[in-house]
Amino acid sequence: METMKSDNQRLPERGMPQVNQDQIRRQQKAARAAISFGVMILLLVILFFAAINIGSLKVSFGELLKGLFVEFNDNVATIYDLRFPRIIISMLAGAAIAVSGVLFQAVLKNPLADPGIIGISSGASFTAVLITAFAPTLYFITPIVAFFGGVAAFFLVYCLSWKGGLSPLRIILTGVAVNALFTGLANAFNSMSGGNLSGVASIVEGNITQKTWDDVSTLFPYVVAGLFLAVIFIRECNLLMLEDKTARGLGINVNKTRIVISLVAVLLASISTAIAGAISFLGLIVPHVGRILVGSDHKSLVPFSALTGAFTFLLADTIGRTVAAPYEVSAAVIMSVVGGPFFILLLRRSRKYAS
Amino acid sequence: MQVSENTAMEVKDLSFAYGNNKVLRQISLAVDAGKITTIMGANGCGKTTLFSLMTKNLTPGKGKVKLDGKNIQNLHLTEFAKKVSIVHQYNSSADDITVERLVSYGRTPHQKMMAGKNEEDARLIEWAMDVTNVTKYRDREMSKLSGGQQQRVWLAMALAQNTQILFLDEPTTYLDIRYQIEILKLIQKLNREYGITIVMVLHDINQAIHFSNWIIGLKDGKVVVEGAPDEVITMETLQQLYGIRLSVTTVEGQKFVLTV
Repeated sequence: METMKSDNQRLPERGMPQVNQDQIRRQQKAARAAISFGVMILLLVILFFAAINIGSLKVSFGELLKGLFVEFNDNVATIYDLRFPRIIISMLAGAAIAVSGVLFQAVLKNPLADPGIIGISSGASFTAVLITAFAPTLYFITPIVAFFGGVAAFFLVYCLSWKGGLSPLRIILTGVAVNALFTGLANAFNSMSGGNLSGVASIVEGNITQKTWDDVSTLFPYVVAGLFLAVIFIRECNLLMLEDKTARGLGINVNKTRIVISLVAVLLASISTAIAGAISFLGLIVPHVGRILVGSDHKSLVPFSALTGAFTFLLADTIGRTVAAPYEVSAAVIMSVVGGPFFILLLRRSRKYAS
Repeated sequence: MQVSENTAMEVKDLSFAYGNNKVLRQISLAVDAGKITTIMGANGCGKTTLFSLMTKNLTPGKGKVKLDGKNIQNLHLTEFAKKVSIVHQYNSSADDITVERLVSYGRTPHQKMMAGKNEEDARLIEWAMDVTNVTKYRDREMSKLSGGQQQRVWLAMALAQNTQILFLDEPTTYLDIRYQIEILKLIQKLNREYGITIVMVLHDINQAIHFSNWIIGLKDGKVVVEGAPDEVITMETLQQLYGIRLSVTTVEGQKFVLTV
């Protein structure tokens, strides 16, 4: 490589082979991205059907289709009522959290930003816990309340880590503190309520065992709206990767854009937290893997992260309910066990953020 | 300089302060269309602040900056970006973005949200890459380019904006001498062949003399030197600007300042 480069500098007219190399490299990357998308879709479909069939009840694929669409089947009905909601919730929440991570990373210019780590999810979960504990009849506004909790947490992190600029490390440190505060508060309320309010406990522990189709219909519109907004802001996310002044010179109101995209990210993280509980590291790992496989252009990164997020959450949930059956380990716990070491690996490998 | 029909940008009674620290004191000046104007001065003279005010990155305390007779404060950022492009001193991008994609970002102010590239966009992106001589790297990733090559790509991005005026903040800062000259010659070519009005901040006095039509020298937030470089650069004005005695000599009809 070195010799090629210096050759090229001495004889610019002999640059042709290098140009072809660039093209080949770009085509290889495009091919890798296409394959990654294909494989991820395939894996998600396989996992979806596997998850339907994993557990004490088992039905064949034929039986399943027949039971769903042709005639009533007891087993299929039970699976439809118990397993389907949690599978769909896993996928929706996974996609939402992963895309939320992508957006936070773009807005904060910090590849280590994760809605769980920087306290957004715990802010949302705390307010959701408050509603569930004190005004359970208002359960239908839980997503909205969770959103405001998330906004409050984000506001805290943003303001407290602002010192004439946002240093990646300071955001993480402030986030850790805010996260600890809200997690502590949520746990405190959980304990004070005797730990027997199952709704409260399920938010705190990220337990999605008892989710129903009602929860699916609560989560669905918000996640779809959030993902739609994320797609709309793809161009802005890309431009935010430039220096702020440069983006501004291209006619982008950087501050306003930051706020709007942050709100979308908070929305995605809070809503999924309200239904599926606080999950850490998902919003960190998925976009990171995405950048390696499909590149950092948000045009590919956003959809790929949505797919991979759905897959990862569903995988964590499915492993969680099989690994020690009949006991269940929540997806949040699985993600922490896998995510913690991964986060350390990232810090160790990246000279840019941990120096 | 008098404000005339040929004025591309006019600065009128401009003052700016950070708290009690007055950085600019009632500055007035005019940038001639089709010329290369260079802002000079010692560290802390207010040239960066003036640059930021003229590029709509700061809001004036008093006075105004006018573009085509309109106060730029009243111009929407997108409108401003269609008329003025800026290459900042420090730039960064995603490591894996290709040159062509980055240059295409220059079309942002002309594109509607979610709209793709049209023919005009494609033509200007090609032109910008051609002029700056980066077409051969179009598929290469930014992180694989040298500093000089990267600077040309940033310049290409600004050119793709297709504006009347181009601002450059110390465009040679991170470059070695060969790339410094290369980029300055390129800027000169943009001015001569395409009639683009250039406003830049330069540190090197000799480069400023050689490559500009007009010099604006700042000292303590005021314009103390203004005019064609051959006329206004003297031992006395340099002493005034930088507070140091420097010999000025002429070699083959060209003025040089001995900076050692």
